[in-house]
Amino acid sequence: MRNFTIKELARYDGSDGIAYVACAGKVYDVSRSFLWQRGKHQVRHRAGCDLSEALESAPHGPELLKRFPVVGRLVSTD
Amino acid sequence: MAKVAQEMVKKAGVNLDELVELLVANAAAELTTYYYYTILRVNLIGMAGETIKEIAETARIEDRNHFEALVPRIYELGGKLPESMVDFHNCSACPPAGLPQDPTDVKATLKVLVEAERCAVRGYTHICNLTTGKDHRTYDLALAILNEEIEHESWFSEFLGEGPSGHFLRRGETSPFVSKFLK
Repeated sequence: MRNFTIKELARYDGSDGIAYVACAGKVYDVSRSFLWQRGKHQVRHRAGCDLSEALESAPHGPELLKRFPVVGRLVSTD
Repeated sequence: MAKVAQEMVKKAGVNLDELVELLVANAAAELTTYYYYTILRVNLIGMAGETIKEIAETARIEDRNHFEALVPRIYELGGKLPESMVDFHNCSACPPAGLPQDPTDVKATLKVLVEAERCAVRGYTHICNLTTGKDHRTYDLALAILNEEIEHESWFSEFLGEGPSGHFLRRGETSPFVSKFLK
């Protein structure tokens, strides 16, 4: 399983078709999701980011992310 | 141009561009759902399919009503619909409610229907959360639509055996919550 720093994760913002998002330490590949076209989700959210905090106030929990393949772990650079 | 209406929304701290984009995305979801539900409804045949056809039809008509009700608010807030139908389809807030691989599989069709409604429930809850106490007119509209989407979800969920919904089929006219925006 690949390790991603937040800086590395930011490269996968969907601009070249690959969209990864992180939640609770896991990195998910959402590239094939209709709801993540061009790395954008419901106007407000962007791929290439850790969405753990944003998910707390979202109208759905992390269960929907579990439908997508996990491609790595988000690691701290400290 | 609803200049003061826009000003009030901005002044209340709502990101107007973001809100308009969300309303357009949800209007796209409603119209595309209306289209996809037309295909689903046509394929709901046989003993099991016919049982669901009526609620699928009510949900289909109400989703079109939701589209009609959203459009004026989009323009009031300074937004517009994309000129291209393709762009409009692709900016939808919900994935296409396409026919399942086996169109005779009524349970699979029900899952498509319930997923579409759940996406809508999440979407309007999100808009209500963004506008509550700030943009009263959009909130009122989103809440009215949300009330109907929750009922749609309940109908389909009940057929999937997920538990009793406490709701019944519409008696009388469609869109009991949204109709005030259509007059």
